[in-house]
Amino acid sequence: MFSLAANKAQAAKKAALKGVHSKTVRKVRTNTSFRTPKTLKLARVPKYTRKSVPHLPRMDQYRVVRQPLNTESSMKKIEDHNTLTFLVDVKANKNQIKQAVKKLYDVDAVKINTLIRPNGTKKAYVRLTADADALDIANRIGFI
Amino acid sequence: MASVYCESAVIKAQELRNKNKAELVKTLDEAKQELASLRVQKVAGASSAKLQEIGEARRNIARILTVINQTQREQLRLFYQKKKYTPLDLRVKKTRAMRRALTPFERSLKTLKQHKKEQAFPQRKYAVKA
Repeated sequence: MFSLAANKAQAAKKAALKGVHSKTVRKVRTNTSFRTPKTLKLARVPKYTRKSVPHLPRMDQYRVVRQPLNTESSMKKIEDHNTLTFLVDVKANKNQIKQAVKKLYDVDAVKINTLIRPNGTKKAYVRLTADADALDIANRIGFI
Repeated sequence: MASVYCESAVIKAQELRNKNKAELVKTLDEAKQELASLRVQKVAGASSAKLQEIGEARRNIARILTVINQTQREQLRLFYQKKKYTPLDLRVKKTRAMRRALTPFERSLKTLKQHKKEQAFPQRKYAVKA
């Protein structure tokens, strides 16, 4: 009994000292090029925000639409084509103009055409939906 | 909870500071609407008095924004006072070089050798007897 335990202990010691040596298995590589293996990508956990507080929205509706136009040709557009013309911020795009006009005057636009005038400002032709009357809206806004 | 019913006047900053964040944002929106309507009136042909109001309206908006940002940053500084890391725009600005310079403590450090020298051979002061 004693010798058995001793043998076991000796065997265990020997195994622990020797270590486990399994047969080295080489991976089968079917491609000649070695590509970078995919590693773990951790998400950022910043210790502090870089900016203390995010900025208020810079392109709000008041910045996008600057003023309506009441020139002769814009009046013609109101009567004939149910469109309003606005002078608009140069950095505004058509989607922003659509959103701004909706927020400010509560009207939907079918399509918007923009151009940049020779003096550097942006003009937007806003065609309204059939159920909205451009003349009514213009009177409501107050620039007729 | 004072509401601004006389809009075409100069808004005072004192009154603004008594308001809370939601009210200030609302006042800001109203001021911007005021400015927009003034611009429309200018297009429709307006008297010179109205044109002056445009300038006033712009400055009102600036005043409201100043109060909003000032109180916001003040509160944030209080919040970050005890913390180790603060956002970069709340830190001291100075100049890039000055931020990287040695602190006064670091500049005052001396080697043991220098310390012993100064103790053993301090600068003596002499006077000539008149």
